Amino acid sequence: MELFAQLLVNGLGNGSYYALLGLGFGLIFGTTRIVHFAYGPVFAFSAFAVWMAGKFLGLPLWIAVLFGPAAASVGGAAVYWLAYRPFEQRGMSSHSVLILSLGLTIVLESALTLGFGPSIHTFPDFAAPIFILGPVFVTGLQLAETVTLLVLAVALTRFLQHTRYGKGILALGDDRDMARIVGIDTDRISLVVFALGSAISAVAGVFTLLNEGATPTMGFYPVFVAFVVAVVGGLGSIPGAIAGGYMVGLVESLGLWQIPTEWQNSIAFVLLFVVLMLRPQGLFVGMKR
Amino acid sequence: MTANVSRRTALALAPAMLAASSVRAAEPPKDPPVFRIGALLGLTDKGNWNATVMQRGIMMAVDEINAAGGIAGIKVEAAIEDHQGVPRVGVDALQRLRARYDIQAVLLSYSTVGLAAAPICEENKIFMLDGGSVTDGLVGKFSYLFHNRSVASVMARAAMTVAKKNGYKKMAQMASSTDDGQSLLRAAEADWKAYGGTIVGTETGLPTASNIDTQMAKLRTAGGDFLAIWEFSPGPGLVLKRAREFGMTQQAIGIEFTAEILKVAGAHAEGYVFATDYFNPEAADPWPQRFAADYRKKYGDNPEVYAANYYEGIYIIAEAIKRARAGGGNYFTGERLKQALDASPVVPSVYGGNMTFQPDGTGLKRVGIFKVVDGKAVFQNFAEVSR
Amino acid sequence: MDLVLHVGVMICLYAILATSFNLLIGFSGLFAFGHATFYALGAYTTAILTQRLHLPFPIPLLASMLLTGGVGLAIALPSLRISGIYLIITTLALQVIAIDIIINWTSLTGGPSGLSGIPPLSIGGYVLSGPAHFLPVAFAAAVICFLVARHIGNAPFGRALRAMRENESAAASVGKNIFYMKVSVFGLAAALASVAGSLFAHYLSYVGADSFQVSETVLILSMVVVGGTGNLIGSVVGAAFLVLLPEVLAFVDLPQGFEGQLRLLIYGCVLILFLVFRPEGLLREPRRGGRRVAAGATPIALSTKTAFVGPLLTGTGLQKRFGGIVAIAALDISLSAGRITGLVGPNGAGKTTAFNLLTGFLRTDAGEIRYKGKVLSELKPHELVRAGIARSFQDLRLFTGMSVLENVLVALPRQSGDRLSALFLRPGSVRREDEANTAKAMGILEFIGLGERAMDLADDLSYAEEKLLVVARLIATEAEVLLFDEPLSGLDGAAMQKIIDLLRRLAADGKAVCIIEHNLDAIRNACDHLVYLDEGRALAQGDPNTLMADPELVQRYFR
Repeated sequence: MELFAQLLVNGLGNGSYYALLGLGFGLIFGTTRIVHFAYGPVFAFSAFAVWMAGKFLGLPLWIAVLFGPAAASVGGAAVYWLAYRPFEQRGMSSHSVLILSLGLTIVLESALTLGFGPSIHTFPDFAAPIFILGPVFVTGLQLAETVTLLVLAVALTRFLQHTRYGKGILALGDDRDMARIVGIDTDRISLVVFALGSAISAVAGVFTLLNEGATPTMGFYPVFVAFVVAVVGGLGSIPGAIAGGYMVGLVESLGLWQIPTEWQNSIAFVLLFVVLMLRPQGLFVGMKR
Repeated sequence: MTANVSRRTALALAPAMLAASSVRAAEPPKDPPVFRIGALLGLTDKGNWNATVMQRGIMMAVDEINAAGGIAGIKVEAAIEDHQGVPRVGVDALQRLRARYDIQAVLLSYSTVGLAAAPICEENKIFMLDGGSVTDGLVGKFSYLFHNRSVASVMARAAMTVAKKNGYKKMAQMASSTDDGQSLLRAAEADWKAYGGTIVGTETGLPTASNIDTQMAKLRTAGGDFLAIWEFSPGPGLVLKRAREFGMTQQAIGIEFTAEILKVAGAHAEGYVFATDYFNPEAADPWPQRFAADYRKKYGDNPEVYAANYYEGIYIIAEAIKRARAGGGNYFTGERLKQALDASPVVPSVYGGNMTFQPDGTGLKRVGIFKVVDGKAVFQNFAEVSR
Repeated sequence: MDLVLHVGVMICLYAILATSFNLLIGFSGLFAFGHATFYALGAYTTAILTQRLHLPFPIPLLASMLLTGGVGLAIALPSLRISGIYLIITTLALQVIAIDIIINWTSLTGGPSGLSGIPPLSIGGYVLSGPAHFLPVAFAAAVICFLVARHIGNAPFGRALRAMRENESAAASVGKNIFYMKVSVFGLAAALASVAGSLFAHYLSYVGADSFQVSETVLILSMVVVGGTGNLIGSVVGAAFLVLLPEVLAFVDLPQGFEGQLRLLIYGCVLILFLVFRPEGLLREPRRGGRRVAAGATPIALSTKTAFVGPLLTGTGLQKRFGGIVAIAALDISLSAGRITGLVGPNGAGKTTAFNLLTGFLRTDAGEIRYKGKVLSELKPHELVRAGIARSFQDLRLFTGMSVLENVLVALPRQSGDRLSALFLRPGSVRREDEANTAKAMGILEFIGLGERAMDLADDLSYAEEKLLVVARLIATEAEVLLFDEPLSGLDGAAMQKIIDLLRRLAADGKAVCIIEHNLDAIRNACDHLVYLDEGRALAQGDPNTLMADPELVQRYFR
């Protein structure tokens, strides 16, 4: 029972983290339909930005963390504007765009490695506080992940529903051609989506930095998780990304309770497979509303 | 692709070479223009910090030897190739080294790449030295392969001496799902069971996994007098951190401690005990002291086991070259290097004193037990491990 | 020398992988993202059978192909339900799961250590170890696999695959069995990829999970894209290019300490620049669609002259609901030979839904469909086409990336070359049959007036020509009941008249023709019989002139 309670808490903590990933990636992917693997190095870049702010500028953590989303939104927007947009304008096939994003990942990861070196970078003098609730241990980071997720989800929902750009994003996610016909500047909206989606996921990147340190290749696995979460939840749906994140987090945590932990890698993907076979559109129907 | 002789020519020449070897003492040594030593490292693999450190060690040794006038006046050069942690890419790189430089000696790293590359070296009589992987899968199978890192069976048993000394009975263990991690796990389990200890929990994680929360929660519930960590840098860092964050207070015992591990674990590394090839820069031996000081001066970090082993690897090959050269003739061949070490398997070690290669190719080094105190590894005692 | 030979072996193995992957993504449009799984399965099967059971060549190879092909069949099943992005992620998931199984099934696969010391390939007593001995075998295997892939790609089966790629529902509407095509192309591509795996196991004498990670799938995919999707020679060139690129880069001297990363960086840049300058790959998809041949002696065998008396197709009490919305409430309709029936009514009346029900694209909730008196309610679209009921789409759904001739050719019924078994067991008769079919297709194009455009891409046709091609494609199915969804919309007088004449000719030849149409002049001009559909019911049926004079209908619709 003790174990169950701990696993449940772990699942919720990781679920918040996964949901953050899925929320940002899902926004980009659901709106633009670009399989954005280069999200990985952008994610890493955000962690390095925070690290630099702490290391070189000597900023306290609460200010330094703001550099993460800021750097990611610039990086994400640049990737869209300089790489994906020209390709999309030329009407390239989805295979080519996928290879482009994989090539970009190689280039950006190598550039980060050349710039920062391959070693692990940790935020100076940071240790997460730990709370003991009966038999269960919770870290301050797990709590912070959950709180930021909820704040961001509410803020993003309001943004999408009540601002001009937000409505444009929803329209674009619904039907790209129709959005263009009714006079929406799809390039600009996509740019906003890339900036916004990258910033949200950078929050997860900052948590990774604080949890285990940053490396240039740290974004490799999170992209897969983000992909899985966004698709399981339903592309472009905010409640979907949150539900998907918690589902992956809890299934992974509680599933490994009985299943040997060797199978950790498979669990999220088995979940994805089952969900897609039963409900190909994901748990929640996204943009279409 | 120039200096390579085809198989047919080699066969035709074989009798002549045999004859040559029997009279070689009389022959003057045929010196190559440069001693080129190959190395297959995972430069762009996911965990490429270790490869960077290996590369530093190699370059430092090469520079030192050349600064001292080379070997018999001939310069040493390292030809480092990237294997990306992928066996096929490692074989590509090895074939390139052969074609380009007709390489005679090569430093290996990463066990699964070694498993793919070793058969080719064995067939082409290339001297191999592995200072990185500890897998039992590479031990005793290739006559041209030597190891200058203590292998799994030695390391795991050395770590277990701590548990036995402290009177522990129940082991909880966390292992990485790699060849090396599983090798350690097998060796430790066998040793612990023979000792009469019990294993209360075994969990595995991917070497790149950042989420090991379930594993640690299960291990905490399993209890155990100590937590054994069969992982490699930076893995133990995360294990230590999560274990302490989950309120696990028992002794943690592992086989590796690097700057990366310390960075990730932070204060949670305190009290971690690990067994490793005995490298003590504070000891009286001059070589370890000098190496550590120079390394710090050059790179600003403390040398890690991977730096020391690949640094040492170059020196071992240099030593083999010297000995082979004394025999005269065409001495810079994998076969002659191997024969030189087979004939007299004792070589100086950067870890202090000498290292003796066993018949199975593994180097017998002293294994030390260290404890992390104030973020530094402090030597405790030598581990007595029978072979 | 060994380096050159070794690189040669690698090019051969990757050529096999890339060509087989191209069959999936380039030909079939099935964007699976797990090709390294098949590679791994071939390698492990061969390793285990050779090392543990000491089975001689070619048993391990054949077993690898059989097992991997079987797994390929299974992996095809998700592709029946999902497509596009969802198929990418699902197949990626399957690859990750497969690798996890390999790593964890230690007793069989050696776990993370893999299997080492696999005996070299030995054929008839000759031990083929080392690159020099292995290259001829690898080359022969690559040539055979390439020829197999090319044989399939150029055959009617490959044409059907490309039609499926262009538009899946349109391929079904001309009688192609989507299930069979997807499953068999997956099985075949998997079996071919396993040949590379099997050779790899012998060649390297070591197999481990590290060789078959997602990055390997990415590499193979890059080869296909760089070479050009849909072009098999392109895949071979792409394989050679991406095997050679790192080799060449390795000879570039770079600053010490950063060589590895810099080489990777350059590799990534070259890949991107490649996409920028050759977005369609090195080689374009070849223009297939056969050689231009003389039209068959008889223009076409249009007349079906069925012996059946009475309406060919009847639907009684048809009903269809979508969630809470009733699309078709209760529809009775009958189509007779020699007659053009017009299905009219306002937008949202359920006309297209009615077509979908009659042609099996949607299942009825209630009611019965009979063709020549037999109940057909359970048949799938392609089975209905074969039975004799075919339809067109309002949005045309031509196979735009294929030639005009191929658009017609692919629709011809009873092509034995659609089946893999026939392709390999009776290649000669398949070829002869296809030549005859090509002549037949040319005949149809001549008849319809598109003979001059036979070799052009359907994409390049004018709108009126596209509409004609739709008719030609439907004629080619040789179905007796032809359902046209707005065949006349958007056409001007002459072009419209031309199609109406064609429809009349079809009816005169004994076909039952049904059209959905809005243009009242056209309806009056073309139709023998009208069914007025509104709110999911047939509100009135009868002679066009009578119906169009009905005051209530005039008020509702015929204004």
